[in-house]
Amino acid sequence: MALLRPEEEAKVREWFAQLERPVELVVALGPEAAPPAGAREVDFGAEMVRVCEGLAELGDAVSCRVEQEPDGFPRYPAVSIRPDGRDAGVRYDGLPWGYELSSLVGAVVEAGRVEPTLRPESRAALEGLDRDLALDVFVTPT
Amino acid sequence: MLLAYRCALASERVTATAIEANEFPQLAQEMEVWAVPRIVVDGEPRWDGSVPEAEFIRRILSA
Repeated sequence: MALLRPEEEAKVREWFAQLERPVELVVALGPEAAPPAGAREVDFGAEMVRVCEGLAELGDAVSCRVEQEPDGFPRYPAVSIRPDGRDAGVRYDGLPWGYELSSLVGAVVEAGRVEPTLRPESRAALEGLDRDLALDVFVTPT
Repeated sequence: MLLAYRCALASERVTATAIEANEFPQLAQEMEVWAVPRIVVDGEPRWDGSVPEAEFIRRILSA
């Protein structure tokens, strides 16, 4: 099954063509949690590889690498979205199904920008941080 | 989700992870995920739903 509809794929290609720096998708595979009810026939790891490799095919600046149980990944499968190959703390844990695929695409687009897209006042507020901050956002496919 | 990612990309102090709730039901239960997006800051559930950027920044910094 195709990753995206033709019109969606064209749009993503357009966005990825405008990336200002390379973005690497590091897919982490390893022991997975008990599968959700009704999803026992889905190979989440294999599907994650298919999704990320599929996205990497849509832009020259996007690449994909698969690792088995790398450090820094508490859950599998997961993907780290890395601007210039640098771990910037941007990750998606689990398979980005359906609408959530747009979150992964959006992460690639954001990581591909040299300048952060937050407002100046937001950036200034974050620059004042004197501690680390871990944001987890729970999502579901729709 | 993108706001959280933007924060991580703007600050080396910030990490942002999307977690697919259905795939990690035990963790989702621990974080009392009844609606999405559910925002968790430093391991503490904070709020549900999208908010404007200024409010998002205010909330995460005051958490």
